[in-house]
Amino acid sequence: MNAKVHSELRAIVGDRGIVDSPTRIVPYESDGLAILRQRPELVLLPRTTEETAACMQVLHREGVPIVPRGAGTGLAGGATPVEGGVVIGLARMREVLELNVEDRFARVQAGLVNASLTRACEKHDLFYAPDPSSQRACTLGGNIAANSGGPHCFKYGNTTQHVLGLVIVTHDGEVLELTESDVEPLGYDLVGLFVGSEGTFGIATEIKLRLVRRPPVVETLLAIFTDLDSACETATKMIARRLEPSAIEILDKLTIQAVEDSVFAAGYPREAGAVLLTEVEGLEEEVSATSEDIRAIFSECGAIEVRTARDDAERLSLWAGRKGAFGAMGRVAPDLYVADACVPRTKLGAMVQQTVEIAKELNLRLATVFHAGDGNLHPNICYDRRDQDEVRRVLEAGRRILESCVDAGGSLSGEHGVGLEKLEQMEYQFAAEDLATMCLVRDVWDPDRRLNPGKLIPLRACMETRAAFIGKTPQDIAR
Amino acid sequence: MSPAKIRTSEELVDYAATLDCIHCGLCLETCPTYQLTGVETSSPRGRIHLMRAVAENNLVPDDAYRDEMEFCLVCRHCESVCPAGVRMGEMMSVARDSMHEDAPRSLGVRLARWLGFRVLLPNRAALRISGSLLRFAQKSGLLRWLAEHSPVAREQFAALAALPTVAPANLRRMLPARSPAIGSHSSSQTSVVSMFEGCVMPELYSQVNRATETVLTRLGAEVCTNPAAVCCGALHAHNGDLAGARSLAQKLINAYEPRESTEDSASTPIVVNSAGCSAHMKELAHLFDSADPWHARAEALAKRIVDFSEYVAPRLAEEQPDLRLDLSAPITWDNPCHLCHGQSIREQPLDILRSIDFGSNAFVELEGSESCCGSAGIYSALRPQDSADILDPKLDALKDSGAKLLITSNPGCQMQWQSGIRRRGLDVEVKHLAEVLDDALSRSVPESELDANERGE
Repeated sequence: MNAKVHSELRAIVGDRGIVDSPTRIVPYESDGLAILRQRPELVLLPRTTEETAACMQVLHREGVPIVPRGAGTGLAGGATPVEGGVVIGLARMREVLELNVEDRFARVQAGLVNASLTRACEKHDLFYAPDPSSQRACTLGGNIAANSGGPHCFKYGNTTQHVLGLVIVTHDGEVLELTESDVEPLGYDLVGLFVGSEGTFGIATEIKLRLVRRPPVVETLLAIFTDLDSACETATKMIARRLEPSAIEILDKLTIQAVEDSVFAAGYPREAGAVLLTEVEGLEEEVSATSEDIRAIFSECGAIEVRTARDDAERLSLWAGRKGAFGAMGRVAPDLYVADACVPRTKLGAMVQQTVEIAKELNLRLATVFHAGDGNLHPNICYDRRDQDEVRRVLEAGRRILESCVDAGGSLSGEHGVGLEKLEQMEYQFAAEDLATMCLVRDVWDPDRRLNPGKLIPLRACMETRAAFIGKTPQDIAR
Repeated sequence: MSPAKIRTSEELVDYAATLDCIHCGLCLETCPTYQLTGVETSSPRGRIHLMRAVAENNLVPDDAYRDEMEFCLVCRHCESVCPAGVRMGEMMSVARDSMHEDAPRSLGVRLARWLGFRVLLPNRAALRISGSLLRFAQKSGLLRWLAEHSPVAREQFAALAALPTVAPANLRRMLPARSPAIGSHSSSQTSVVSMFEGCVMPELYSQVNRATETVLTRLGAEVCTNPAAVCCGALHAHNGDLAGARSLAQKLINAYEPRESTEDSASTPIVVNSAGCSAHMKELAHLFDSADPWHARAEALAKRIVDFSEYVAPRLAEEQPDLRLDLSAPITWDNPCHLCHGQSIREQPLDILRSIDFGSNAFVELEGSESCCGSAGIYSALRPQDSADILDPKLDALKDSGAKLLITSNPGCQMQWQSGIRRRGLDVEVKHLAEVLDDALSRSVPESELDANERGE
């Protein structure tokens, strides 16, 4: 891009909406997956749908690749910039546009931070249910891209269950309104298609979200175990017996210690082999009956102690500990690789065991924390990126863990998405024809492949599809 | 894994490279400059990313780098939410200290820094004279003229013009060397404390120092002051003058070390009514290598430092005086960053306020009372526009709260609020916690007791 285009873009977003100094741009070189880095040419921070559309029109004309970015807290490299590309960040679009308490929805700008939405509506006894651990920083737009989850998604479902409508800026700067007044979409569910598209279909700038009523009674239980296996067995049994807590989380020993050393120390006992954190919500009778059944399973599985949060402050502290776990791992090593995969919940114990073995074999430090309710594992591998061999072993471990999950009948991602990190494993999980079909869908939204290029679907699969359709070889296209 | 202390640029490089920060982003929402701009570079995570890039030789520090470091308020709000325990305050002190080694500041800036940091702040006589000069400039209208017409440093004169009116000299007296306890107290309540008067406090907020002293004596303490203790060096440490900060730390340690000629014993608490100073004085040991004898001496001093609210709250709870203060409108509390984030003091000031019956006018909560007001030491003078922009959302919150009296506990914050309130034309008074408590105590002490004391019985 030449200086003329730069100033054209500057005129759209204003001086404070453009980051182009070679120094200032450095922090945008990665998202939460700091192992992958690429400095973009430019960062744009529009304030409105109109500004976003105007930027996208210019970038379309110039044929510049675009990487959308929320708060850069993603862990799969979904917001890693591309060389010569532009990052469009949502950070200055953070207004609550409408709060409709009667109809229980909110319309927000996509850069609003997840936790801010709950804060905005809590006085009406409402909340926004998907609660990723990064909810105090991540944007709702980023949540749309990754179809984010969180502990309570076990009960409430992932982001996609909560999106009622979207305003999208397409690859060429057109504004599409997919906001419907009815709960049930008419015709094709394009909103459903868009959620989880990791920025490859367009940029969502405004979002209409469902708000949920706060449950009348909440009971939070912390069960303490001497070993991780018993905690996993407990989770499996809770699911098998059809108990319906709103969340089931497990933290292992190394994670407990890191959290207890941090400002989010929640009183998890340091000597425990694992803790299981669960929450039951609903009406009084319902909560006490379910909690009774859960306690029975705890003692069956050998919990050495069970604690109940006495008040909201203690409940929040137990959760803050869980949600600070990722960051707290910084105390163990300078870098952290957070794997994210799902297995059927009956296979949790076996899969956890397997990740422990993989880490041991490759001589890596592993800390495990996971959303047991969803069968969503987060084996965290602590490493130092300055050690090249260790980095190689980390990536090897990541690959083997993901592949074992797929082998066990699970999935590559529970909530973080594919991004760059799991690109290769997409070919492990899907047949070539499946990927080719995905490419066809992607091409409808972004025929020039300028939106978050090289993410989500392996390039090879895409090139093959296109070659088949327009009669060129993949080599021609690569050129 | 990371060095225990960050004192030199080499150690900062080590620390940044082996950093505890793993980029989780939980700091973003707490950062006033990120909130203001939405630019990740202007967030704790972004600044650490820059420091790390420099440490790993992926980036050569330039003007943009230095500007980002100076844009930070060092409010340390990020430290309160960092799960990895990154020590942003320490990192920033060293980053700022070392970043001008290769790119010297302009002559004018160096002169101003030398005058301010090396001549004015450490020197009581210079402070006293400046107080009188400032009063003259305020009263004569000279300062207003300079703020509008000066060919140089107009923004800085404007910042000076925003300072509170300096009281006449007779009200700016230093406190007496000893003030006896007032009233009868249980023996556990009578004790000797040393009160730190500070550098600019006696000039700009002498009434706060007097109120602090009165509160302490009314709660049964005999209050001593120490003329050798002038400036703690917090401003130096936060603004890239670690050498100056070290030398002032040594002076302070010397001043308070027990010896026969002073009232100080190894256990005498030192009460500090400026949150920025108490936070810094508790952390003086960071300035010295652990093998350096000054390190242990700094730690010994740190053990004696108590913030005003930290000292008063438990004593008030024990005494349980009947405190009433009928005000015409609601009051609110804004927690100085270096009190809540620097020292994790959150409940004590609220306990003090809760012990006072404000009549029908209740205490109202200020939204974002733990976020920075933009004062940040001398930041408001160095970057007046940014400082005002940071205060803006807080002024909105103050207006929404309906409070007519705002209470805080740090002179910088008090000044910042006063000038912001004037700019907006709001009708809100700003007071130090000690002033409010002094008002309440003076109205609740039985007259007979006061008389008895004043008669010297």
